[in-house]
Amino acid sequence: MRPGIRASAEYLVGDRSKPAVLLLHGFLQTREFRTVATMGNSLHDAGYTVLLPTLSLNIPNRRQSLACEAIHHHSMEEDIAEIRRWVAWLKSRGHQRIVLFGHSFGSLQLLAYLNAHPDPAVKAYVGTSLIETRIASTSRHALIAQLKDRIQRKQTTLVTQNVSLCSRYTAPPEDLLSYVVWDQTRTLNAVKAVPVRMQLIMGDADQMIGRTWVKALQQVRAPMINVKGANHFMDAEHEFDLIDHTLGFLKTLPSSP
Amino acid sequence: MKWPTSVPIRQVALIFISSVLVLMSLIGGFALHEMRDISSNLTQSSEAAAKAELTTAVEKQSSRIKNQADLLARWDETRQQLVVPEYYVYWRDQRVYESGMLSRNAHIALYDQSDTILSSRTTKSGLPVKLPAGVSPHFPTSWLRNEAGVIVLYYAFPVYSDGRRLALIGHGLIRLNYMAELLNQNSFRFTDPASIKLALKPGASLPTDDLVENISLDARPNPEQIRFQNVFSRALLALLVLLVVTALLGFVAHNRLLVRPLRKLSEDIDAMRQGRFDPTPDQTSQIQVSELENIRRSLFDYQLQLRELHGSMEHQNREFRSQARHDVLTDCYNRRAYEEDWSRFREEIKTVPQGVAFLLFDCDRFKSINDTYGHEKGDRVLTLIADALVTALRANDRLYRLGGDEFAAILLRTTPAQARQIAQRCQSLLDAKKFSDLGINEPISISIGIAFCGADQTEHIDELPKQADIAMYTAKQPGRNRVALFGDDVERASQTLVASRETSAVFRALATPGMIEMHYQPIHGLPGLEIKYYEALARIRHHDTLIMPNEFLPVVSSRRLETGFDLAVLQQVDLDLSSKKLQPGIGVAINLTAQSISQPEIVSYLLELSRHNTRHPLMIEIAETSLITQVAEATTYLDLLRTAQYRIAMDDFGTGHSPLRYLADLPVDVIKFDISLIRKLEENNRASQVVTDFASMMISAGYSLTAEGVETETALRKVESLGFAHVQGFLLERPLPLDQLVILANDDKHGT
Repeated sequence: MRPGIRASAEYLVGDRSKPAVLLLHGFLQTREFRTVATMGNSLHDAGYTVLLPTLSLNIPNRRQSLACEAIHHHSMEEDIAEIRRWVAWLKSRGHQRIVLFGHSFGSLQLLAYLNAHPDPAVKAYVGTSLIETRIASTSRHALIAQLKDRIQRKQTTLVTQNVSLCSRYTAPPEDLLSYVVWDQTRTLNAVKAVPVRMQLIMGDADQMIGRTWVKALQQVRAPMINVKGANHFMDAEHEFDLIDHTLGFLKTLPSSP
Repeated sequence: MKWPTSVPIRQVALIFISSVLVLMSLIGGFALHEMRDISSNLTQSSEAAAKAELTTAVEKQSSRIKNQADLLARWDETRQQLVVPEYYVYWRDQRVYESGMLSRNAHIALYDQSDTILSSRTTKSGLPVKLPAGVSPHFPTSWLRNEAGVIVLYYAFPVYSDGRRLALIGHGLIRLNYMAELLNQNSFRFTDPASIKLALKPGASLPTDDLVENISLDARPNPEQIRFQNVFSRALLALLVLLVVTALLGFVAHNRLLVRPLRKLSEDIDAMRQGRFDPTPDQTSQIQVSELENIRRSLFDYQLQLRELHGSMEHQNREFRSQARHDVLTDCYNRRAYEEDWSRFREEIKTVPQGVAFLLFDCDRFKSINDTYGHEKGDRVLTLIADALVTALRANDRLYRLGGDEFAAILLRTTPAQARQIAQRCQSLLDAKKFSDLGINEPISISIGIAFCGADQTEHIDELPKQADIAMYTAKQPGRNRVALFGDDVERASQTLVASRETSAVFRALATPGMIEMHYQPIHGLPGLEIKYYEALARIRHHDTLIMPNEFLPVVSSRRLETGFDLAVLQQVDLDLSSKKLQPGIGVAINLTAQSISQPEIVSYLLELSRHNTRHPLMIEIAETSLITQVAEATTYLDLLRTAQYRIAMDDFGTGHSPLRYLADLPVDVIKFDISLIRKLEENNRASQVVTDFASMMISAGYSLTAEGVETETALRKVESLGFAHVQGFLLERPLPLDQLVILANDDKHGT
């Protein structure tokens, strides 16, 4: 996280006997995004301490969703570092049992964090609508090679690429590369390597992910709940499904000693 | 100021048309003035609207820029650039525009906390490297600057890293072409965009707060207003032209259709008025205006009718004049013709001297005849008289009926002898007329007065009517020849002159009480000659002269003054009786005309006078010579008077026309034999015998007889022997005034 860049989070204190839940929003969104905001309020209502950070994406006090066309001068590593700092912040607040809850690309970022920095305080991981970094029809290898070439040649010119939900995602090559490398394979490997209890909650009407992705997750035997009829954002009545499944999962966690 | 009494119609038309033109010009001028006022107001309104519009646009522009700056200040990516400025140029030149955060006309630069621009790599934005010194650190600052004639707006705003504006991380500065942006971002309805100018010298700056005060503009011309002005002006001009053309055409038409025809009509009327009237009007000069032509034709027709009417009236006038100059009854000339002819004769005679005779004819006792036999027969009598006179006159002589039974004739170129001869011929022809065919038994006669003026006496011509009148009255004197020529002898002339005096006296006596003086002649009883009555005899005292009855009675009769005169006599008798100067027991006989007996006022006065009957037995004497026209009525009144103790006497018996008829019809008590009969008694002939026998017969019939005019002892003895009850006459006593009679009576009483 660069100097001078401040990030913010909403911290809702709950029952200390229950694990604190860190909820991470989706790609370029903020904590105000409906899916995580609703989930945060519901969990807090259920007695859980909730921390709802907004990833800074190298923007001081970012309060707005960052447009796809904006200059995305941030990387997966910086995102993981920021998550790490928020986990540390929770721990500094005395929370020794932490559950990570992510939505969409936030699930991937939490997954990347878990793979990079396993922490004993983190007891569980809930990934909803987990998605890999999608680059549309572009050849990922070619793109990665191109980006690496630019990096090697220190070409910092912004690159515009179709990334996940953005058709014109603009970013420096190195930053773009940090996300592009998280393809399905790497993601599945990360799932398989999750060191904590894990629960994936997917919507079977999610049009943003490929059909093969759910099957792939099932192949790696990731514990996964398919919410029937739910789309990528688990909105409408499926919010309750998401909450119920999440609370149900949280209840399965061992209570604090 | 004196106004002309009449104005030619051409001037009237000119005045009218000029007035209309002036009035319309005034109205047009007023309308133009009003329109300019309205236009001025509209222009002012437009300018105010333009000012307001521009002010609104400026405010809107300022607000837009402020909003833009606020959004930029709060934009995450702005803060991102101030912290991670590696891609600032991309952000400044591309991202900020693609995101829609800044309009393409504007440029932006970000300055770090040291007020240094993030990148010196500038484009043509013209933004300064260092943030201007006057920029407020924590508040937006804006100003305008004239840069080479381009008005540029600078808007600086602070950027904080947190929402609470605690951590200032830099500034943003927006620069834009203000005027272009103002014009692009606003549509002006009232303001002329090209006219918008800011009073700012090149290189000078101006706070945006002072912008409105320093900006100038022109209002956009209101196309509707301009169109309205154009339409109005064109309409006004067209109206003016139309008015002028119409006025000219109207004047020409008026001149042709009205002025000329009226002038022609006026000329025709003038010609008619001056007698230059052509009864066959020129058809070629027909007036084109039908109404005026009708008037002209009507005037012609009217003039023709007037001419015909004039001719007819002249003919009728002649007829009327002829009729007006003729007497309807007798067909001779009337009084009007007489007066005209006489006036003309008098003038002619002065230039052509000649002998002129004036004949005046008057029917004797015509009124009595008229009253007795009725007006119809009276008219026939007049007709026959006129026929006789016209026949007797010469062919060129004219007979005039002056009124009633009075005729006149003017004989020119004549002599007294010829006039007298013609008069006598008139008498002869009249005598030959058979009035008995009309049932009139009394003889009809006329009296003729002649006046003559010789050729050498024409200066006396005016006296002829008066002289003829005098001569005519002379002719009427009893015993006179019925033709009298004025100037035959002095005595007759003096008598007739007196007659004229008596006429005056009669009228004065009737108007002046006391002029009639009663003289009383005793009537003695037979035998014994005791005074039984006094016959009251009227005299008129005129200028110390006593006018006798034979002088004034003809005047009374001819002037139809009987009733008035009798009434005056009764009043005087009443006064005398009331004076009680007469010896009581002696009666009074009062002479009344037969006409008065039928008058109610006379009878009424007699009834009042009857109060003296106890002192003086009263008797009424009615002259037998006067014909009683209404016998039945007279009989009724006489019977009434007899009940009032009056005795009725028939006076002058023997001088009238129908004595026996009246005796048979009227209630008479006393018969007074006229002096002519009494005189017969003194003769020794058959006439005396007739009178004697008649008197005996009357006495036998029960009448009381009185002998009048007894002047001799013989006559006295005769009447006494015949059995007359009363006698009077100069032999016994003459009529005396009351005072002398009283003296006489007193003398007799005292035996003197």
